[in-house]
Amino acid sequence: MTEAHAVLVPVGEDLFAVSIDRVSQVVAAPPLTRLVTAPPHVLGLFNLRGQIVPLLDTAALLGLPAGQAPMFAVVLLSRQGLIALAATAFPHRVGLDDPVGPSDLPGTAGSYRVKGRVVVRLDPDLLLARDRPPHTGKSPVSGPPTVGAIEPVSAIVRSGSTG
Amino acid sequence: MSILDIDQIRMLFGQEAGVRLAELDRLLLQLEQQGGDETLIRSIFRELHTLKGSAAVAGLDDVSQLAHELEELVVGIRSGIVAVTPAIIDTLLAGADRLGSAIAGEPADVPGEEPVVAVMVIAESATPVTVVAASPRAPTVVETASAAEPGGVVMVPMDRLDELVRLIGESASAHLRMGSMLMERFGVDPTLNSEFNELSRTLNELQERAMRTRMVPLATITDKLQRAVRDLARAQGKTIRWEVRGADTELDRGVLVALSDSLLHLVRNAVDHGIEPDAVRAAAGKPVGGTIRLHAMQLGSEVIVAITDDGNGIDTLRVRAQAEGQGVDTSRLSDEDVLQLIFRAGLSTTTFVTDLSGRGVGLDVVRSTVEAAHGRVEVRSEPGRGTEFRVIVPITLAVLRCLLVEAGGQRFALPFHRVVLSQRFDESGPTSAEGRPVIWVEDQPVSVSVLAETLGIHGTTLDGPIVVLADTARRHGFQVDRLVGQRDVVIKGLNSLLPHLPAVAGASVEPDGSILLVLDPPGLVQRARQAARRQTAAGPSAAEPSNARHAAATAEWSTAGSDGARAGLIPAGSPGASQRILVVDDALTIRELQRSILERAGFEVRVAVDGLDALAKLAEEPSELILTDIEMPLMDGFALTEAVRAAPSLANIPILILSSLSSEADRQRGLEAGADGFILKSGFDEGSLLIAVTRLIGARR
Repeated sequence: MTEAHAVLVPVGEDLFAVSIDRVSQVVAAPPLTRLVTAPPHVLGLFNLRGQIVPLLDTAALLGLPAGQAPMFAVVLLSRQGLIALAATAFPHRVGLDDPVGPSDLPGTAGSYRVKGRVVVRLDPDLLLARDRPPHTGKSPVSGPPTVGAIEPVSAIVRSGSTG
Repeated sequence: MSILDIDQIRMLFGQEAGVRLAELDRLLLQLEQQGGDETLIRSIFRELHTLKGSAAVAGLDDVSQLAHELEELVVGIRSGIVAVTPAIIDTLLAGADRLGSAIAGEPADVPGEEPVVAVMVIAESATPVTVVAASPRAPTVVETASAAEPGGVVMVPMDRLDELVRLIGESASAHLRMGSMLMERFGVDPTLNSEFNELSRTLNELQERAMRTRMVPLATITDKLQRAVRDLARAQGKTIRWEVRGADTELDRGVLVALSDSLLHLVRNAVDHGIEPDAVRAAAGKPVGGTIRLHAMQLGSEVIVAITDDGNGIDTLRVRAQAEGQGVDTSRLSDEDVLQLIFRAGLSTTTFVTDLSGRGVGLDVVRSTVEAAHGRVEVRSEPGRGTEFRVIVPITLAVLRCLLVEAGGQRFALPFHRVVLSQRFDESGPTSAEGRPVIWVEDQPVSVSVLAETLGIHGTTLDGPIVVLADTARRHGFQVDRLVGQRDVVIKGLNSLLPHLPAVAGASVEPDGSILLVLDPPGLVQRARQAARRQTAAGPSAAEPSNARHAAATAEWSTAGSDGARAGLIPAGSPGASQRILVVDDALTIRELQRSILERAGFEVRVAVDGLDALAKLAEEPSELILTDIEMPLMDGFALTEAVRAAPSLANIPILILSSLSSEADRQRGLEAGADGFILKSGFDEGSLLIAVTRLIGARR
């Protein structure tokens, strides 16, 4: 059993997941400030306890058609600071077993089966890399994610108003 | 910022010395245990050297003298004349204790018998250590802030301050959440409650103050520097004028603290090695009395502090000789390369040993401390004319006075130093030139754009006020919905995973928890000009000047930007999509200036320090344009141009030469070598550079 803990990032009909050790917290519909002149995949900025966090359109990052409005922000830890991915439904916590197959989209790292549904794991570093190589077709199936200290998603912050 | 009086300086010195003495003790004990490792001895030397210098600045000559004598001993150890024996360690430790006593203004432990400032060599060692002559003077009583005294200064580690700022931020947002909860759950409007409002105000102020604690103006240390210049100049009998510009430039306290010692070193160097004695200056026909200038300015996200003297310049021949003495082969180095050697440990430009500097310690320390603060040091020197050191550090956190405006329903901050003026919309005022609306500002025509449209959002106001902004070269007016006011704004950089946005300088968290975008006027002006050019190229009918303004602008954005403002964000036709430019210049400042201008205009910029480096960079990845200096070490701009033209894979890359050489022969030589354009550094500004660049790249596409 090589179960790795992850947080789901629902995007429309699809389910993606991020390894839990990269997730700082989940925020419900934070009020967004539009970042003028930014490309469309930047949905805006929000204030997370004094930190300015950009919210990115997960669908746009993956090259999927835009769909539903974001309901939650999955805040990721990165060397450059906090950065959030938009989710269209509640980001549940799940366990991922061994991958069941490869995944095609750039920035992803394999497909997994969770409760009868396919969950595609995201590789945040690849997905967020500024100079992401162009779509290269199949990405190799990597082994199960190495998960360090497994910690629960620390907080679900419900903001007062919806933006 | 008032000038620090001697008591304040001594109080600061007391704090600094406490830390240094503790470190000195630790190092000495380490020396005893592990023996004379070179790095360790150098560290001990530096502690003593810095103490000596700071003590002299604080006017504590006795302490300075004692530190000097201990330093002598360590020099002996470093050069191998003195062996590290327990007796020597005892001597050093006892000396350190005596330093501590002298700094604290305590009487000598054996009053009357021995003056405080003598290094007692605890004899036993056969090594030739001289007992230093005692100073005849009694120690000056130093006022330091002791724990019992009220009103002292406490040094707080930055991380505690950061944590404090973060927690205050959390409290403020919790307070806001509480307010909305009261409203939603209980239908109570919290803003009608004075207690709630009072708490809001307090939290806002707290947040503001906490942020402020980390930003300090350079003026906090210029007084100390001035003091050092004055004292040292007097000690050496030199007449020196001290000039400061930009002392109100603010930077993060952590950065400034790291910088403070380095600037002190540089200023001392300028007095000590830079400015010649009055008699020498007079003989050389220079004005009697040298000048040391400190000029600080903010350039983008960096602060540049330049320390310039009009002294004799750095003697490169002597640096060569000393470097050779240390086994460095300087035969293939240009004078400019040789200058860089002064940052090596143990190199000094003069053998003249003074009270404060001249041991070759200092510049290597300067470089390492500045680099530790993520900065860099540059040196330039002209024989007989003077020397300039430039310390360039990032401002991790900057406070800027901003004009707050509203455009397209969103609030923006415009850094005040770029605002020329703001004026009400005057129906009769605007006229048209080259198909664009212009207004008259100080008898000059200034183009006007609608800010919201420039930013790709929908603007509504047709009669809003106009704010005129200036970049380095030109002015441009922006019509906004309304002016909100002016305020100090703490700018935070955006996450660097986001694409570079030339028109956005950063963002700030407002007291109410909302986010305020801070715009970058040069980037904004550039964006507006690009939009205007595209608009002109598209050829809108500008028959009616009074209506053309909005009609044309709207037409432009309806094609480029109305689509959810998407197409307008990275305009396909503009330079910037993937236009790569290689900037080749050995002068860091010029290089970085060009980089900032070009990046702001949306180009992807790489840099190289000379021709060879440029060729290596081109081998890794081609560029759409090369912008090169002429005079550079290893391979100059002409040779680079010829090499590029000779390489089949590179031959078609346009080359623009930017040089201080102004003769027609040089221009001709550049063009013969195969360059496509020639810009003079003296006539170089943002506008002309961008025009030349876009013209060339455009022509090649």
